[in-house]
Amino acid sequence: MTKDESAVLVRLRSMLADLTHDDAARTAPPETPLLRDGIGLDSIGGTMLLTEVERVFGVDVAGTDLNLDSLASIGALADYIEAATAGRA
Amino acid sequence: MATAEPGAADGPGTVIKCVIWDIDNTLLDGVYLESAAGAGEPGPAGPPPSAGLTAVLAELAGRGILHALASRNPPAAAGYVQRVTGHRFAAAECGWDAKSQAIRRILATLDLPADAVAFVDDDALERAEVAFALPGVTVLAPEEMAGAADWPQFSPAVVTDEARRRGELYLARQRRQEEASAFGGSRADFLRWCQTRVTIGPAGPDDLPRLHELSVRTHQFNSSGVPVTQAEFDRLLGSAGHRLVTVRLADRFGDDGLVGGCVLAVGPGGWDVPLLMMSCRAMGRGVIDALLAWLCGAARAVGADRVTLPCVINPRNVPLRIALTGAGFRVEEPAAGADSGTAGRERIARYTRPLDLPLPDLPDWVVTRSDWAVTRP
Repeated sequence: MTKDESAVLVRLRSMLADLTHDDAARTAPPETPLLRDGIGLDSIGGTMLLTEVERVFGVDVAGTDLNLDSLASIGALADYIEAATAGRA
Repeated sequence: MATAEPGAADGPGTVIKCVIWDIDNTLLDGVYLESAAGAGEPGPAGPPPSAGLTAVLAELAGRGILHALASRNPPAAAGYVQRVTGHRFAAAECGWDAKSQAIRRILATLDLPADAVAFVDDDALERAEVAFALPGVTVLAPEEMAGAADWPQFSPAVVTDEARRRGELYLARQRRQEEASAFGGSRADFLRWCQTRVTIGPAGPDDLPRLHELSVRTHQFNSSGVPVTQAEFDRLLGSAGHRLVTVRLADRFGDDGLVGGCVLAVGPGGWDVPLLMMSCRAMGRGVIDALLAWLCGAARAVGADRVTLPCVINPRNVPLRIALTGAGFRVEEPAAGADSGTAGRERIARYTRPLDLPLPDLPDWVVTRSDWAVTRP
């Protein structure tokens, strides 16, 4: 984990590795897309990820990010979660 | 826009899609492990099936309701119950952990939400454990279940050919999943090997009961979240400004029949899609991507510059919204004050796909058969 990599990013990669049964996700660069050609999540896999994100981080991505831009990449989702949790105590 | 909205009617009402049965003193008149069959002795000497509940099971199966087993027994008990009741169960969980855990595994196997299943057990403690752990599940004692065939939640308004064959189609799905687990190549290679065929075409009068059923039963892939009556679909079928589209699915394991559809309001500049829906049975098989890609291509072919799809924002249809954004649909900014009249109701976002951008690709394992061109009114 480099200095720039947040705990959220590391946790997300771990979730993705569990979801895809593929440890490659643990070292995937932040710019790796989550859907299709990147991690390869389909709409069900994406839903499972967002459900887990809500459970772990308490962030309802699907209810707030209607365009789901946060699914563009691992880093985009980590940034979204960090921004949503930034104001919390 | 109001004229393009499919009419609502039947109300939300929960329809049970699967009944999960306990075995001992429920589906069987007796305890399996206390019988000769349970002790592994030869011959048929096991408890007889409950005549009343077996009749209920058969009646509900004829209406397209699935059946599954959850029992504190060795796996052989499920085979015994299948033999004596003559029913092939869509899933069976025999073991010694909590019934709620067994039910969770059945929900995962059959891709069902908790509120789509009923659980029948003679043991009040088991019923209480399930009711506590899975509050959505309808929990019933055997004596309550005896009269359930008359209850509305076990009485789908229409029983289509797809519904009658539902048990058979779930077994085909199990065979597909087993083959997928054993398959050496990628998921795309597997789906190509399955010879997945998606056929998109115009609806006819015979399709209306199934379209109504899909509008009631689909949630994860349903854009409006509002049931549409058969009469309303009939009106749309005869409407000059609307087109009703059906999506059929088959592969080497079986013919799933009509698994999805949409309503198009075909305008001179763009297409509106007031309803798009797909059965969860077709999930993960490229169908939703095929339908969205076809929509964009067919609209552009007749000169439309955009496809617009209003979609209710709720936690259940996230899979549809992921598919929409994956196909290049974006939410238009809501007009100022647009939500002032919808306080307390579910939000509706208008997803729009401009057609001057490259169109979404079809998954290469899907064979789409559509020689149908949508014409303008």
